[in-house]
Amino acid sequence: MLNSKINRRNLLASAAAGGVATFMGPWAHNRVLAQGAAKPIMIGTTTDASGQYANSGADERRGILMAIEEANARGGILGRKLVSTHIDTETTPATGSRVAERMIQQEKCGFLLGGVHSGVANAISQVAQKYGVIYFNTNSSSPTEAGQNCHRVKFVWDGNGTNFAKAAIKNSINAFGGTFVLLTNDYVWGHDTARTTKKQIAEFGGKVLEEILIPQGTRDFTAALIKIQQLKPSIVAAAIGGDDQKALRQQVAQLGMGNKPVWLNNQQDWPDVYGLPADNLFGVFGTTWYHELTLPSVKEFVEKYKKMYPNEVIKVPGNVFYNGYMAARELFAAIERAGTTNNIAVIKALEGHVMKAGDRMQHYDAMIDAKTHQVQQTIYLATANPRPKDKDDLFALLAQAEPKDVIDLDAPAACKLESYEATPTFDA
Amino acid sequence: MQSILPHLINGLTLGLLFALIALGFTLIVGVMEVINLAHGSLFALGAYFALTTISGGPLAATEFGQWWLTFPLGTRYVVAAIVGPLLAGLVGAFLEICLRPTYGKASLYGLLLTFGAALVLEESIRLVWGAGEQNLRTPGPITGAVLIGGMIFSTYKVYAAAFAIFAILCVWLFLEKTPYGAIIKAGAHDSEMVRALGYDLGRLRLFVFGFGAALAGLAGVVMAPIWGLRPHIGLDVVIPAFLIIVIGGVGSFWGAVIASLLVGLSVGLTGAFVPAWSMVSMYILLILIVGFRARGLLGRKSALEN
Amino acid sequence: MNLSDIPPKGGSPFTLPMAAFLMLLLLAPFLVARFGLYHYLAIEIAIWIIFAMGFNLLFGYTGLHSFGHGAYLGIGAYAFGLFQHNVSTSLWGGLGAALLAAMVAGGFVALFLSHRRGIYFALLSIAFGQIFWFSSIKLHRVTGGEDGLLGIPRPPLQIGNVAVTLADNRIFYWFVAALAALVVIGLWRVVNSPFGRVLQAIRQNEMRARFVGYDVWRWKWLAFTISATFAGLAGALLAMAQNSAYPDVMSLHQSGLVVMMVLVGGGLVNFWGPILGVLLYFLAREVLGSLTETWLLWYGLMFVVMVMVRPEGLAGLIGTAARREAPAPPARIVETTP
Repeated sequence: MLNSKINRRNLLASAAAGGVATFMGPWAHNRVLAQGAAKPIMIGTTTDASGQYANSGADERRGILMAIEEANARGGILGRKLVSTHIDTETTPATGSRVAERMIQQEKCGFLLGGVHSGVANAISQVAQKYGVIYFNTNSSSPTEAGQNCHRVKFVWDGNGTNFAKAAIKNSINAFGGTFVLLTNDYVWGHDTARTTKKQIAEFGGKVLEEILIPQGTRDFTAALIKIQQLKPSIVAAAIGGDDQKALRQQVAQLGMGNKPVWLNNQQDWPDVYGLPADNLFGVFGTTWYHELTLPSVKEFVEKYKKMYPNEVIKVPGNVFYNGYMAARELFAAIERAGTTNNIAVIKALEGHVMKAGDRMQHYDAMIDAKTHQVQQTIYLATANPRPKDKDDLFALLAQAEPKDVIDLDAPAACKLESYEATPTFDA
Repeated sequence: MQSILPHLINGLTLGLLFALIALGFTLIVGVMEVINLAHGSLFALGAYFALTTISGGPLAATEFGQWWLTFPLGTRYVVAAIVGPLLAGLVGAFLEICLRPTYGKASLYGLLLTFGAALVLEESIRLVWGAGEQNLRTPGPITGAVLIGGMIFSTYKVYAAAFAIFAILCVWLFLEKTPYGAIIKAGAHDSEMVRALGYDLGRLRLFVFGFGAALAGLAGVVMAPIWGLRPHIGLDVVIPAFLIIVIGGVGSFWGAVIASLLVGLSVGLTGAFVPAWSMVSMYILLILIVGFRARGLLGRKSALEN
Repeated sequence: MNLSDIPPKGGSPFTLPMAAFLMLLLLAPFLVARFGLYHYLAIEIAIWIIFAMGFNLLFGYTGLHSFGHGAYLGIGAYAFGLFQHNVSTSLWGGLGAALLAAMVAGGFVALFLSHRRGIYFALLSIAFGQIFWFSSIKLHRVTGGEDGLLGIPRPPLQIGNVAVTLADNRIFYWFVAALAALVVIGLWRVVNSPFGRVLQAIRQNEMRARFVGYDVWRWKWLAFTISATFAGLAGALLAMAQNSAYPDVMSLHQSGLVVMMVLVGGGLVNFWGPILGVLLYFLAREVLGSLTETWLLWYGLMFVVMVMVRPEGLAGLIGTAARREAPAPPARIVETTP
């Protein structure tokens, strides 16, 4: 938070002092900041502050800022301070494109971090690739991000729909039975996720009774729920995202259909579920991290969050914050390993890098896939906690899957990274 | 093989809820010939005010707040269902005052002003209540499911649909059977004459707009437990309300109600048989009907056509 | 409101404001560099000027209040991208495809809309806009769905045997600016031609225009189609600028934005209004947007106040100030609702 405040205050001060005569004031702040001994490293947080993912965007931004503050407290990276700027990407791809242009061209950002909506992440990464600026997609869980839409400069930090489906399907067939109804949001992410799910169901001997397509923007699910009640599947595998999912959640809870049949949902992002009553958290869902994991240094991490963000509505860190924080921290570590901010050197330092389980506060070591640039990590399956120890203790973790068991095997074939030579050289 | 009956019932229920959503919009369009694009934001505002009323909001820590929170959820819910719409109505009344300079000009200006107001209200909600999803809790007795003919229905939705019928009838009775209604309707047809008869047209408009806004807020309170609540929910509301008005015909109360039922049926039935097309079905319905009947089902001539 | 304070006239389009506009286009890259802004901004502003000016032919001049115009911008962008991906990498081919697609889509929708006036026109335009928007997400195998149609190249500008690469934003700007200049000069000719006068006559009184003998339906159809075609051109340029086409530009929200820009700028009373509106919007976004996260709140408030006190917009404001100097021209027809 600190960095952005300094930044904003500078903006305000120069704007106020400038007046008409020096109208260029507000835009010239970078150069003012850049006059220090060592040029700071500019970090652009391309997170959503409005639109559908405003809440998640704010959360991942908090994570990124905490990592930046930690790095600055240690004296910066390569002796250079980190300075962050933020521009709202509005959960709108076209805005993401423009923001990326501005971040790179005007704010002189060397690295861009943040993204929840896959369309926005794509838009940013296209611009970033054009300039050779490294971009971290922190929280978009669309399989296409590390598949057909991968880029040499883009790294994907969240588990995706495929990972979650792979973690969930086999276990569920064994535990609950093999007849499925698929509820699929009728757009790219929904279809991609459903495809993996169907493949997994077939592989482990399950049967799909019907796939119900749900158009984006649906607010009433009664027709689909009536059908589910008529078809009586043992499991409903839902790939419903965004606001549609929130409406679905309400209606399933109302009908008391949350337990029977069993619902397999995709990832539930912490900012989306925080503060909701337990019966809204129906079914089994995935996550990459939970603040009640009994692993070393999790407690300290949670305390740190509470100390830094005492007045936030969200009282404990969740997966979205975690992804933002981890991505930023690993970026700084990679710059230090490379010993330079040259983009190609940093990319090479990231590719194939193994992150120890202990450092990441997960059960298994994670690895940045050199072929797809996706972080292959532990996937947790969770459900609503029937015996919460406090009001933040929403999840009960059921199982954790090793990265190698949930890896998206189709991704390397779909992903064609640009060559190093075709990626413009860029030094922050 | 699935039967069509539960989907018919579902479609009608949905239609009634759509009618409730569009009620305030219909009233303001019909009487004042203003397209209130802030309708959705007022809808959200009503629900957010109700939410704060139930939880005690900033007063929760005070003595009054503690006393208030000792009441059972049911009581607080009923009070919230009155307070929320009332406050939304007040905001609506204020909006009407802002609208005054646009009277007598092209109808476009009212529409644009309310479009701007919708932006402002939505951003304000985000500032005050945050961008996250909120949950409006319903009391125990009206949650859960009922089985009708072996088919599962949400208890709450059944109550909500019944309430929608009640609200529609109340508004209709108010317009048809009370002197206020008569004046309002007269005001819609011939404002000069109403003024000449000595009625204060300014106050009348203030009241109608406030009433329409309160109805929007009321719909918000009723719908929030079904749709969830977030700052940008307004767009989910304005678009169906719009469609309903056009299909039903501007200025016709029953046209709007019939249009709501048609929209509900089309969404419900397509949702059952060709679910991928359930959202577009509304628009196709609109084009089909307005393609053949220029003024919708029961529309009359309106200044808005100019 | 009316546009009649600028009497329709023929003659040369090279008036003082036109000179100022062309000068602005010419100087924009230097201004942008001077203020430390990014080049891409100038490109986006020039594209939106094309969109807004074309839109105002329909909105301000013909008085047809379309609220679904973003759809044609999007169609142009998709057509351009699909042409590059599936037919050939060609600038002129892509632009042609975009213009044609937007023209056909606009012409088709106009078949339904041209019978309508006022609110029914506005609402139907929304309905069609929503259908296009919805289709762009639904037909994800063609359009890439919510991720957008990605990787659209910027083909080189081929004139005869000379090929100029447009990959650099600084060079691409000149291409967009040249088109913007052509569009604005072209539109100036159009609105000051007999055709433009017919459109204004329709706006002022459709009935009268019909009685005078004009086939109003056909003129309205034509105005809509032309306006959609301009949107298609802007869309193709946007696809080049962003190397992608996204469904969001087709949403109701975005379609509303162009209405806001045109109105704030004063498109209802002045030919130059849309340009002022676009400039004001983009500069407000850059300046307010870097000061506060809730800049839309302030922009929305400004808009509301503007509609209340200065509905003729920025151009009207400037016009009033200018008229205080000079003697006021006699008032022309002012429309009121009955």
